[in-house]
Amino acid sequence: MRTITLRPKKAFDIPVEAEIISPDKLAGLSLAQIGSLEAWQGNRTNKLSDLFSVEGDDVPVKPEETTVRLEGDFSRVKRIAENMSEGTVEACGDVGMRAGNGMKGGLLRVQGNADDWLGREMRGGKIVVEGNAGNYAGAGYRGEKCGMRGGEMEISGQAGAYLGEHMCGGSIKVGGDAGDFPGSANQGGIIIIGGSTYLPGAEMTKGAITIRGMVEMLPSYQKMEQVMIEGANFQKYIGDLVENGKGEIYVSNSAQQSP
Amino acid sequence: MIIKGGVVYDPANGIFGEEMDICVEGGKVVEDARGEDIDARGLLVMPGGVDAHSHIAGPKVNTGRIMCPNDGRMGIEPRTDVCRPSTGYTVPNCHAMGYRYARMGYTTAFEAATPIMEARHTHEELEEIPIIDKGALTLFGNNWEVMECVRDKDIGKLSAYVAWALRSSRGYGVKIVNPGGGEAWGFGANVKGVNDPVPNFDVTPAEIIRGLAKANELLRLPHSIHLHFNNLGKPGNYTTAIETLELLKDILPSRERQVVHVAHMQFSAYGGTSWRDFESKAPAIADYFNQNTHATMDMGQIIFGNATTMTADGPLEYGNARLLHAKWSNHDIELEEASGAVPLIYGRKMLVNAVQWAIGLELALLTKDPWKVLLTTDHPNGGPFVNYPEVIALLMSKAKRTEEMATLNDQISKRTTLAGIDRELDWNEIVIMTRAAPAKVLGLRDKGHLGPGADADISIYDLLPGKVDPGKDYQLVKKALSQSLITIKSGQVVAKSGRILAVPEGRTYWVDASMSVPQADQERMMADLKEKFDRYYSVQMSNYMVQDAYVPHPMVIRPQPFDQSAEAKKEVA
Repeated sequence: MRTITLRPKKAFDIPVEAEIISPDKLAGLSLAQIGSLEAWQGNRTNKLSDLFSVEGDDVPVKPEETTVRLEGDFSRVKRIAENMSEGTVEACGDVGMRAGNGMKGGLLRVQGNADDWLGREMRGGKIVVEGNAGNYAGAGYRGEKCGMRGGEMEISGQAGAYLGEHMCGGSIKVGGDAGDFPGSANQGGIIIIGGSTYLPGAEMTKGAITIRGMVEMLPSYQKMEQVMIEGANFQKYIGDLVENGKGEIYVSNSAQQSP
Repeated sequence: MIIKGGVVYDPANGIFGEEMDICVEGGKVVEDARGEDIDARGLLVMPGGVDAHSHIAGPKVNTGRIMCPNDGRMGIEPRTDVCRPSTGYTVPNCHAMGYRYARMGYTTAFEAATPIMEARHTHEELEEIPIIDKGALTLFGNNWEVMECVRDKDIGKLSAYVAWALRSSRGYGVKIVNPGGGEAWGFGANVKGVNDPVPNFDVTPAEIIRGLAKANELLRLPHSIHLHFNNLGKPGNYTTAIETLELLKDILPSRERQVVHVAHMQFSAYGGTSWRDFESKAPAIADYFNQNTHATMDMGQIIFGNATTMTADGPLEYGNARLLHAKWSNHDIELEEASGAVPLIYGRKMLVNAVQWAIGLELALLTKDPWKVLLTTDHPNGGPFVNYPEVIALLMSKAKRTEEMATLNDQISKRTTLAGIDRELDWNEIVIMTRAAPAKVLGLRDKGHLGPGADADISIYDLLPGKVDPGKDYQLVKKALSQSLITIKSGQVVAKSGRILAVPEGRTYWVDASMSVPQADQERMMADLKEKFDRYYSVQMSNYMVQDAYVPHPMVIRPQPFDQSAEAKKEVA
């Protein structure tokens, strides 16, 4: 097992585009080679070694045997673990926008918070965030028909608005509240929200959303029967009828009243 | 500049793969020149490519961009010393269009449809497309003034209007899109065929098409009418296509060219009664073109993957959006046109798409005369123009077609005849379809050939026709054509092996036919227009016309009036 540790050398004023930080791209390189890779910051490129200190094991291995550890503040470092397919990226603090963008496999663990567009259009693998996630977690890019297509995302804290927008598959679990419009245009993804949310599943055609906290439902959902999930009673809804949808929403009985 | 020893294809001048030198001076091909030599020994040399039908500028292209921000993620290239950044695949930014055409060895492209009222926007975008020469065809098929002139059988007044509108829009030719159907779409309807009356106007599409064709010839415009048929994109529409072409048989061309150019024929060569029994009628269409001389067509080949359809055919786009559950933009242009845009994906396993793909190729392969078929993808309706080398490889290689067909929906061989076609086009035919014929169809005398006096638009490819067998080495052909070794525009090297070296401003062609219009016709027409602007238009006439400031690099073609026959053959440019 090889561990590569990156630490920012300074606080970044202009965000760094760091799609290069992924086991797929770093595993086969020595530390010196890693340091000489380039990353965009604003309209110019920098050597990775000018932006970060690069430490750890020097011997190249396969990506699946590699852990990239990010120590310090990465909240202005974007696109961490983009298109990653194997291995582990472990962030000890916060990460910037679009972490896990288009991820295909492997594990991205964030001990702090993740910014907007976490796991955008992800296809596989797993993302674990111990803090909060921003808006559009698991969503699709503007204009794209499909957001997250596969894989798992676990957010222990809260998620922002438009959680899993345009999702086509995979699952998202949020421990706390989710912002407005989770699962809009959902076409087959599974979303479980531990806390409260507002107007879930707009234009949803397939998939399911479970809400354990308070919720206000859209009027375009049809009330169905009561169901038991893990020993608790839930009210089932079907919709979004605006789109002739067959999506399912389950709302916990214990906290069903609209706010 | 002398381009030395290349294997030259210049079919318009009867040169079919001869080793020869080409001399260039002052942006033109000349008999003799001095200056730097370009060693083209062992290389393929041909005139710069001419795209006669492409949607590269104007409000609908921009609508496509706005609808597809996701498209902007493709084709990203950072700026260089000479280039601005590029984005997009089906709807690239303006600069990228110039760079990509030049890289492929194309030096001229015509925007295929612009409403008069929005022509200012078209020219703003055309001006931002570097390197290539361009022009825009003006839409007439659903215009109130046109329909009223046709109803009154007043071809003189109609000609006056066409000349005025071409000048107003700084347009190059007469484009007709689903005549009458765009007007009917204003009321949520469409016309069902060429003899179906247009609501409120008491004319039929047949009368509109014939009227505009007559006006086009009366004005001696360099291009013929450029027609997008009624019922385009519908199963069984090949009968409409043939019926429409029959209407134009007796009209005499005023120049040595076709009477009608059919846009993206592929979309109008459909058999069957619904999408379930949808099949190719390309053989019937090709047969018609083989037996008649008054019409030319462009392929409108589809390319699998992303496309953004955009057309003045409003009802067609509504149908597309409903059928595919896709994003839809709809637009009405006052007294002139409807329009729409729908992004979509052509899938290999979708039977309808696979058949459409085959139809485009069948049309090109079954039509015997390559001068009658232009190579296009109706960019970006069938797919982006950067795929022309793919289309060429398909036309030149049976093996490539067989390989592709194996990846498609297996019903394709029952619905089309493509599997049974052995013809492989040769270089001469390809150069005609991509260079010589588009220039001839458009009436561009200085384009598409390399004779003395021609524009020095030249593309040089790293490929030796004798050495490479396109039938087998289709991958080499596609690779070489995707990136010219050298592209020369107006005597200047603009691209080398895919790198853009210079970004000169291209010229914009437009046609000023006003001198062919008798004063009396002009006055009657202006009286009509005054009333239209007073009563209906949301703008004043004085704000309507495109000002010269919007076309800073004009190339004005002034057709000589008919009666000065002695001088008529010579164009004033």
